[in-house]
Formats: sequence, structure tokens, C-alpha cells
Amino acid sequence: MSTIQFNHKMGAHCESGTVTSLLNHTGLEITEPMVFGIASGIFFGYFHKHKAFAFPTFIVRNRPGEMRKNIQKRLGIKFKTFSYRDSTVGMQALDVLLEKNIPVASQVDFFYMDYVPSWEQVHINVHFMIVMGKEGSTYIISDSYFPKPVELKEESLLRGRFAGGNMSPKGFLYYPEHIPENIDYIKPIVKGIKKACFNMLNLPVPFIGIKGIRLFARKIVDWPSLARDTEHLSHEVMKINILLEDQGTGGAGFRYMYATFLQQASDILNNPDLKDLSEELMSIGDGWREISLFAARIGKNRDLGPDKMKQLSNMIRDRADMEEKFFKQLRKSI
Amino acid sequence: MKEKEGYVDCPEQQVIIYVEKENGTYGPIQTGSYITKNYIDDYFLKRKNLEASLQEQVKRDEISPVKFFMVFEDLTLSELSARTKIPTRKVRKHLLPVHFNKISDDLLNRYAIVFNISVDQLININPGPELTNAEVDNK
Repeated sequence: MSTIQFNHKMGAHCESGTVTSLLNHTGLEITEPMVFGIASGIFFGYFHKHKAFAFPTFIVRNRPGEMRKNIQKRLGIKFKTFSYRDSTVGMQALDVLLEKNIPVASQVDFFYMDYVPSWEQVHINVHFMIVMGKEGSTYIISDSYFPKPVELKEESLLRGRFAGGNMSPKGFLYYPEHIPENIDYIKPIVKGIKKACFNMLNLPVPFIGIKGIRLFARKIVDWPSLARDTEHLSHEVMKINILLEDQGTGGAGFRYMYATFLQQASDILNNPDLKDLSEELMSIGDGWREISLFAARIGKNRDLGPDKMKQLSNMIRDRADMEEKFFKQLRKSI
Repeated sequence: MKEKEGYVDCPEQQVIIYVEKENGTYGPIQTGSYITKNYIDDYFLKRKNLEASLQEQVKRDEISPVKFFMVFEDLTLSELSARTKIPTRKVRKHLLPVHFNKISDDLLNRYAIVFNISVDQLININPGPELTNAEVDNK
């Protein structure tokens, strides 16, 4: 078996990057921000206690898998999807698809991706990448977090695809099967924006959306009492930077990528309000970036006393106020 | 963020971020990771200290190798149980040295697979080499 002709591209995020690359490969020219925006990717959720997380954490994008599902629903694209109970059957099925020259997206636990540097390896069952070939017992992977295609041992891919636990991948694979010839982007964009506003403003759950950001601001001052020691607290506070910047967000917890989507949407919908709002969101994103830089700095300096945690809390609360105003304006503009 | 503010020189970890270009449009640039560039040494220091502290607890017979790797890999009890398909009450027991010594080979193997190490590494508490900062620079 050899490698499929596939145009590898880096992406900001693994799921939106994978969906975009597969759609581009199948002939649909669409940008990653457009995929992210139509799929209502922008989000916020704070988890103070969760059986899968050893420490409080937060998310800045919608539920894993939703981007593909929303793109399918809103653009009329059909994705062929597969899940497997039996790992041998799942690995054979992947090989059969590759023999048919079909690059296929795979859900894996990031921890087992041995091309990832040790300091990035974490157990997270919702990483997406594209398998684009196999040479001997090595798979060729297009992972949107890497500048070039990478190699992965068969055993590592197997472990990654069939890891158990929260949101276990169950060998999940998908690829686009049908793309409509003419896509009208207007309705999907409007729907994507409306749903994003609903998620951020109206979901009746206290830890989601703007309410989630406010909960994060309230609860972060309690983090010192939950940490094993100062170094543990420092590690968790510095992870704020990673979750907002490095863990595939396009910067500022996806706010910069969503601003880019709004700018592109403004042209398509001929709606200048969206351009103004994209500028506002870029500025809100700068505030999130200040938070991530501040968190990295106080974490590194072990300067994690009550005054600094309070300052961090206030910065986060300020983002909640800004985003509440922003999403209300965005909802009105559509 | 303006494009010129987005560039970070860190070839070890590249990322895509969206920035405002000079012509006012927003778009992606490929750049380096800010936190890896500036704080990776601190990360390695904390990992080293955590490893030493957990090793001490193992030596004092306070925790088992399973607990060592569970904490080292940031897993919860429930997550470890789900990943190994070993009931939570049993995993809880295996966190203590007295019960760990009685674990069957099959269960040891299941833990080793989840931790992505060999059974030998699990028993001898050897998480394997992590790159030092100097090695990262040379990579």
C-alpha cells in the first residue's frame, strides 16, 4: 500500500482542520474559519468537577464531533461514518479504505500519537487526524497540528483508536461521501451564527456560555485549595494559556478564528454589521490573550497568592461582560 | 492581534493563529508556540519534581506504581477504571502497595497498555525519558 495524493495543510484546530482538509480534497473550496463558524464552533464551558478531569478545566469549542455533524446538516454534505467494537475489524476496515485511495479521518487518544513531543502528550480521546497512507506497518498521517505529514506505528494508532474512557473513540472513522454541486452559504451562515448565540447566551445550563465564563471567574479563586501544592497550582494555572492558545484554537480561545469567520461572512451576506462585530471580537480576543499571558507569567513566577488569583478572576469576568454584549449584538445583526 | 505581534520563534512546536494582516483582513499565519518557547524549562522542572515526590511516596510504601502513573499521566480514578476495564473499587485498591503486589499479570498488562509503557516499566516505576530542555533545543 502507498500514500494517497493528499494536500496536507496545517490547521488551527484538529476537528475544523480535518473537516476542512477532507472537504478541500473532495473538491469543495472552503476555509477553516468558515467551517468553524457554520458549525457554531465557538463556545465556552467550565467544569469544576468532572469524573474525567483530575482538576477543574474549561472548553472553548462545542462538543467534539458537532462540527462535522453541523457541517453535514447545514451544507447538505454526507459523511460516511464508521465505529467498531472489534479493534482488528476496525484496523482492517481502515486499510480497505486506504486501498481504495480514500483519505479518512480518525478519532484517537492524543496520548498515543508517538509523533507528538512528550510535553504535549495528554490523554484526550477527541483528537482528529487524517490517515493518508500506509507503508509496511507504519501509517502516514496528516495531522493539522503539524507542518508536514508524519508517521505513526500501527500499534500506536490501534491504541489511540481503541482507547477506553470518557468519549472513547471506538475506532471512529469518517470521510465525505457526497458534496452538493452548488452550495448556498447564506442560510448555513445565518443558522450557524444563531446557534452560536443561543449556545453562548441561552443554554439553560449554569456552566455553559456566558454563565460558564462567570462561573470560571468565580471558581478560579478556589483553585489554590484544590491543588496538591504550589507547583501543581502553577501547572494548572499555566494550562489556561495552553487551553486558550496552544491546544489548537487559532489564538485567544478560538475568538480570532471566529472573528475571521465573521469578516468572511460579512462579505457573503453583504452585512457590514458583521464586519464591525468581527473587529470587536478581535479586540475581545486580545483580552483573552492577555489572560493567557498573565496566567503563564504568574504560574512561572509562582506568584499565585489571593491578590493575583483575584486579578485573574476579574480579567475573566470582564471577558464575560464583553462577550455577553457582543453575542447580544451579533444575534440582533442577523 | 496584529500580524507582527503573532510571530514567535519556536520551531519545536508550530501552531496556526489568526491575525489581522496589514491590509485589514484577518487570516492565518504559521508561528511558534509562545508557552513552549518561553516556559518549557519550567514544565520540565515541575515534571522532574513531581516524579521525585511520587517516587518518594512509593519508597515510603504510601502509594503503588499504579497511583504513581495515574497522577503522573493526569488520569482520574474513574477514567483509569474505564480505560483498563477494571472496576473502580479494584483500581482504588490497586493504588495501595499492599494490594498492588497481588495484581495478576493480565491486570498489570492492562494498566501498562493504558500508561503506554511496558509491565517492567510499571513495576519498576520508570516513566521513560522525557526530553530535557537542551534536547528540545537541539531537536
